[in-house]
Amino acid sequence: MSVDTMTNYSTSSLSGSRLLGAYLGDIKIEFTKMIRTPAFAVPTLFFPAMFYVLFGVVMQGGDPEASLQIFARMGVFGTMAPGLFGFGVSLAFEREYGQLTFKQALPTPPGSYLLARMLMAMLFASIIATLLIVLAVTLTKAPLTAVSAIKVFFIEVLGVLPFCAMGLFVGSAASGQAAPAIVNIIYLPMAFLSGLWFPLQYLKYPIFQEMAPLWPSFHLSQIALHELGKESFGSMGSHFCALIGITLLFFTIAVRRLSGAGVHMFGARRPGAAVRKSRLLGTAVIFVSIALIIAGVMGGHEKVPAVTSTVAAEEGAGSPVTDTQSAAPVGVTAPETTQLANFDGGSTAVSYGLGWIAADDKTRGGDSVSAVKLTSGGAAGSKAAMEVAGTVGTAIAYPFAGTVFFPAGDTRTGFEKWGFMDYSKRKTLRFQVRGDGQDYLVMFIGPVMGGIPAMYHFTAGQDWKEVSVPLRDLASLDLERVKMVGIGTMTAGPFRFEIDDVRIE
Amino acid sequence: MSGATLASLNAAVKRFGKITALDQLTLSVGKGEILALLGHNGAGKSTAINILLGLQRPDSGHAELFGLDPQEIAARRRIGIMMQEVGLSPALKPRELIRQVSNYYHSPYDTEAVIKRLSLESLAERRYGVLSGGQKRQVQFGMAICGRPELLFLDEPSVGMDVHARSSLWEVIRDLRREGCSIVLTTHNLEEAEALADRVTVIAHGKLVASGTVDQIRSYVSRKTIFCKSTLPADTIRAWPGVEQLHEELGRLQIVTHDAESILRQLLNGDAQVRDIEVRRAGLTEAFVEITNANQAANGNGGGQEKAR
Repeated sequence: MSVDTMTNYSTSSLSGSRLLGAYLGDIKIEFTKMIRTPAFAVPTLFFPAMFYVLFGVVMQGGDPEASLQIFARMGVFGTMAPGLFGFGVSLAFEREYGQLTFKQALPTPPGSYLLARMLMAMLFASIIATLLIVLAVTLTKAPLTAVSAIKVFFIEVLGVLPFCAMGLFVGSAASGQAAPAIVNIIYLPMAFLSGLWFPLQYLKYPIFQEMAPLWPSFHLSQIALHELGKESFGSMGSHFCALIGITLLFFTIAVRRLSGAGVHMFGARRPGAAVRKSRLLGTAVIFVSIALIIAGVMGGHEKVPAVTSTVAAEEGAGSPVTDTQSAAPVGVTAPETTQLANFDGGSTAVSYGLGWIAADDKTRGGDSVSAVKLTSGGAAGSKAAMEVAGTVGTAIAYPFAGTVFFPAGDTRTGFEKWGFMDYSKRKTLRFQVRGDGQDYLVMFIGPVMGGIPAMYHFTAGQDWKEVSVPLRDLASLDLERVKMVGIGTMTAGPFRFEIDDVRIE
Repeated sequence: MSGATLASLNAAVKRFGKITALDQLTLSVGKGEILALLGHNGAGKSTAINILLGLQRPDSGHAELFGLDPQEIAARRRIGIMMQEVGLSPALKPRELIRQVSNYYHSPYDTEAVIKRLSLESLAERRYGVLSGGQKRQVQFGMAICGRPELLFLDEPSVGMDVHARSSLWEVIRDLRREGCSIVLTTHNLEEAEALADRVTVIAHGKLVASGTVDQIRSYVSRKTIFCKSTLPADTIRAWPGVEQLHEELGRLQIVTHDAESILRQLLNGDAQVRDIEVRRAGLTEAFVEITNANQAANGNGGGQEKAR
């Protein structure tokens, strides 16, 4: 072909400063675009802060430890939206409306589209993280040091990457109309199932706890909790493996999909060796990332205790640190016997521990009353049973009256010093009951105080009947660390019931 | 055509499944010319342009842009692009959009100069999303020219513009050409092609079927139409040799003929009262219809022949 010799056709690359200007220009435009899109910017920037204030401040009443934990969880929640929505929804729209093709035809510097979007997501994440840090410092007494605040800040800013990759994948596949729905379907359940809203122990079905290591938000939140000295699950190495694996996997698949559709994120290559090489590399990356994810999921189970509880653990006693999940070591293995009192020996006592004794809510400021006594004529013709009777008051929000048993309790020390009993080999708590026809509950308290204890409801009718509590199905029951078993009621008014032949099998 | 070739396709073939979008298409764009690429929908215009823009690769044959593979970013730094359908971010302002694109080029025009040149001052700070269709096209045109391109690809540039905006757009296009910029214009608006193009290329079924200056293309149709008001009965005129068609509309005759001169002579001789005489040569529209119909007929006869070169 004829080439105009007057023109210098070899001027190929932009000067360094112009190239930098092109990248910076794209980053600025990307951020401007997103910040001017209220449907994106408002929920992304303010929901994590709002939820932190609601869950971490309003609900916890400024409890420093609890609020610190929610600070970590909401921070991770905040890293999810910028990547998922910023990539997923915008990319799908831009692909559908020809903007991506236009960019492709323009001399856009290679990778700048992805880079600009990624930095936009990081910038959003850094605003969210800063907002949460400011709230934590001003509204709560959370023990957040400058060093851990900075660490958490970086965890959250870098933590956007796996979500960017997932968003990129959705954006490469979904239509502009479908993308917002798909992203929301991923976003909210994933946050919930990763334990960002409630600790995972509160999920009733263990399958969801088993599944948690599949979600990048789970891994990220464990890293953040660990950095803040809170209890976490799984090794840090496994979390990094999983996060890197998820990022690489979705990123590679998405870039491949787009390139198949003629959108080359890093510039087009001539067909031939280079393309074959890059496909081969992509396949290798996919395999490596799957291996990383498997490693990450496998290593995500065992519990790492909170740093704050080590002193208590060394003392060999459970620390009643309010709200934190088991800061404590596993309890003492339960004695062989399955019998927890049959009341025929003239006592309400169990062969070990402290109880059964009357319990009310007076120490918490309540006005409920309760008393226990032996009655003659127990279930199935036995000699005696125990009657529990009293009145539940209305002075506090969560009143309680009934009877309790502390498996590791003793009279010489106090509640704070008592440890836990390990009932992890047992499946069922059984007892006979009759009473005034009202509803009652069995309640288990472990190292977690102040949260919702594990509960099981039953009705005490006129005739003796057996209640069997499936221990392993109870949500949030840590069978390795049982501090108290209670039977009673939270319903205001008088009550009366009898129990007999209590067993844990 | 004079001077260098800036962009070319050489025997380019592109298939999408069973459909052959480009069938050995060869074309070139010279320096300083406005080339109009015409063809029905699906004729292969977009595929040809997409290959020249590096968005697609030909299955066989060659594409070059400034002597380089069109997928080379260095080649694309010398072109400006206005696509037909592109949804830009509604939240951004025209000034920002133009500046962002300028950043990609070696020595772009000053953004303010582009805004002034296209009289976009009043729109520059409004959100793109609130602009009318024609205003959006003007902004897109600004984005196409802001990089000081040597070659400009314009796809249906004036769609949605009002008459005023369109004529100023044409003026800028002519100015750019005077400044040495080459332009590839894809359009359905043959009036636009007629007004702007130095050279016209007609594509049908992925092949080049005609190429030449606007005058050359128009001359494919040698028929002329004589308009007049005559006292002679229509049937008399219809019987004259050389008259191919005759219509009467609002008392005005339209006589279609290959031999306008002898028909005119007969009219003037036979009717002393004849008035309002006007002779029109076929326009690009008629030529385009003729050329593409002939091509269709040729394809229909299994010939698959190109009508003209």
